[in-house]
Amino acid sequence: MSQTSRNTINLEDAKVVEHKCYSDQQYVLRLYAPLTAKEAMPGNFIHLQCDHSIPMRRPMSIMRAEPDKGFIDILYKVHGEGTELLSKKCQGDRLNLLGPIGVPFKSTGYRKLPLLLGGGVGIPPMVFLAEHIKNNHKNCKPLLIAGSEISFPFQVTPSKIMVDGLPDGVIASMPLMEDWGIPSRLTSKQGYTGCYDGFVTDLAKIWLDTLDPERLQQVEIFSCGPTIMLEAVAKLAHKYHLPCQVSLEEYMACAVGGCAGCTVMVNTESGQAMKRVCVDGPVFEAGTVFPQ
Amino acid sequence: MAARNTPLVLDFCGMKLSNPLVLLSGCVGFGEEYTRIKGFSNKDVGAICLKGTTLNARLGNNPHRVTETNMGMLNAIGLQNPGAVTVVKDYLPLLDFSETRFIANVSGSTIDEYEEVTRIFDDSPIDAIEINISCPNVKEGGVQFGNFPEMSAKVVEACRRATNKPLITKLSPNQTDIAENARCCIEAGSDAFAVINTVTGMSIDIKKRIPVLGNNLGGLSGPAIKPIALLKVHQVYQACKDKNIPIIGQGGITTVDDALEFIIAGATAIGIGTALFYEPLLCKDLADGLTTFLKENNLSHVSELTGTLRLNE
Ligand SMILES: Cc1cc2nc3c(=O)[nH]c(=O)nc-3n(C[C@H](O)[C@H](O)[C@H](O)COP(=O)(O)O)c2cc1C
Ligand code: FES
Repeated sequence: MSQTSRNTINLEDAKVVEHKCYSDQQYVLRLYAPLTAKEAMPGNFIHLQCDHSIPMRRPMSIMRAEPDKGFIDILYKVHGEGTELLSKKCQGDRLNLLGPIGVPFKSTGYRKLPLLLGGGVGIPPMVFLAEHIKNNHKNCKPLLIAGSEISFPFQVTPSKIMVDGLPDGVIASMPLMEDWGIPSRLTSKQGYTGCYDGFVTDLAKIWLDTLDPERLQQVEIFSCGPTIMLEAVAKLAHKYHLPCQVSLEEYMACAVGGCAGCTVMVNTESGQAMKRVCVDGPVFEAGTVFPQ
Repeated sequence: MAARNTPLVLDFCGMKLSNPLVLLSGCVGFGEEYTRIKGFSNKDVGAICLKGTTLNARLGNNPHRVTETNMGMLNAIGLQNPGAVTVVKDYLPLLDFSETRFIANVSGSTIDEYEEVTRIFDDSPIDAIEINISCPNVKEGGVQFGNFPEMSAKVVEACRRATNKPLITKLSPNQTDIAENARCCIEAGSDAFAVINTVTGMSIDIKKRIPVLGNNLGGLSGPAIKPIALLKVHQVYQACKDKNIPIIGQGGITTVDDALEFIIAGATAIGIGTALFYEPLLCKDLADGLTTFLKENNLSHVSELTGTLRLNE
């Protein structure tokens, strides 16, 4: 790193604006964090202190940012003491955070058919990216496919937006995407109505197979989710010769590049290297972290 | 002795520190990482210890490398570093030496390697060298040298041959008689001590029935180890006090009171590691808090507190 990285991450006392509970202990937390909201990009995360009694912070992806109002949204699932205490926070409570952190997705709008693949708590960055593409790359036509093996953290609705080539009956969608006019489809092995019975990558493959070579060349994949899913996504991208960026997760201590606690093995031009998920990522070229 | 109006400025083995706070090795990369945070400045601390460095580059351990525990954390980074030559050539030039003092942290799997790495840093702008004979996270070397006084002394002796810069030996809490080890290291030429490095420990994933850390075991840091660290500082101080050998006390310091306890136990400087992960800007508050305490207790300089512990009869 050089001194140009100085002063790029805010430390702020955010205020809870809204805290919504969904099934299976999933929560959407809206925070007033104006400094972070102003600079956040899709793929960025915050390092959040859940409660004073647990001083170690938790990395959480940013799902939405409203720079004008100073809001950021995060989605989390309770899976330990920290998130349990976080789930008790009410409107007006203060939470200390570092943000925004990390290298965001590179979305240039160069390829017109961005395919966004999100799994579980990896869905939030895809939502943020979809909104970003809608606002900044108007000639792009993104498609979002989200998978979950627990119920979805939003009211699933039948889509009014047609997507050619998908199996009949696969119409379950994310309401926010519908509002934005972005087609979305859901997958699960749990037999939820309107969802495709399979993995995110299975439905993505069906869609890719319907595209003619010229349209296929316009596709670019962005993904976030469990490692096993990202591996499958990287394989899919390789098979269809598509550019693909994935956002990774790892346990973190500092989240600013100081401890090397969060590294992953990455293939670089000069051989294998350990890169830090927090500041060298979390977004990486799929082929460099999942070599094919 | 420092002027009255600068109660925190101190001399540490000939280095002038702007205050007793030292950022600890392994927590702040190679010195620039925390400056990413707005409001953080290297100027706010007396010195910064860089990440443990070996002769050749090391990739480090498999994930997970860090995990939270009750009032602390375990780490098993495995000394990931780009090798001493690269650190000197590519990393040191990025540092602004007018902001604070920078201390290298040297590790090796043989005595020769310690000596060689020390020599490489000797020929660099680095202000001092910390000998890490207490890393629990590498298969060879590290703590192997740290747990046996004669071995520790041999490492210190070798490093001493390679440099005239201040040598700080970082002692392991995972040994029988830390004070005896300190005595041997002083004989061998150690100018100062860092007390303590992490305490070895383990976390287990009960679903998978495997250790959480890729390396199976790791080093425990943070408030959980503070009482252990305090006693070790007190013990090492007994070997140091008559010889004017200063100690960087460390292990779980997060508050002004913690820092004061360490100073009273015998520390000249105060190391901050894990607490940075909690509160990245805490050093400013710690320095202010120390100044306030001195004022309230009519002390003109922080060194007047060092080793003032009175044991119960
Ligand atoms: C993530 C991490 C990495 C560390 N790496 C090193 C290292 O490379 N060399 C070393 O001498 N100590 C290393 N340490 C030990 C610290 O420098 C310090 O001695 C210890 O953590 C106790 O202080 P604390 O409780 O304030 O963190 C590391 C500690 C942590 C938490
Ligand atoms: S979490 Fe410390 S380097 Fe990434």
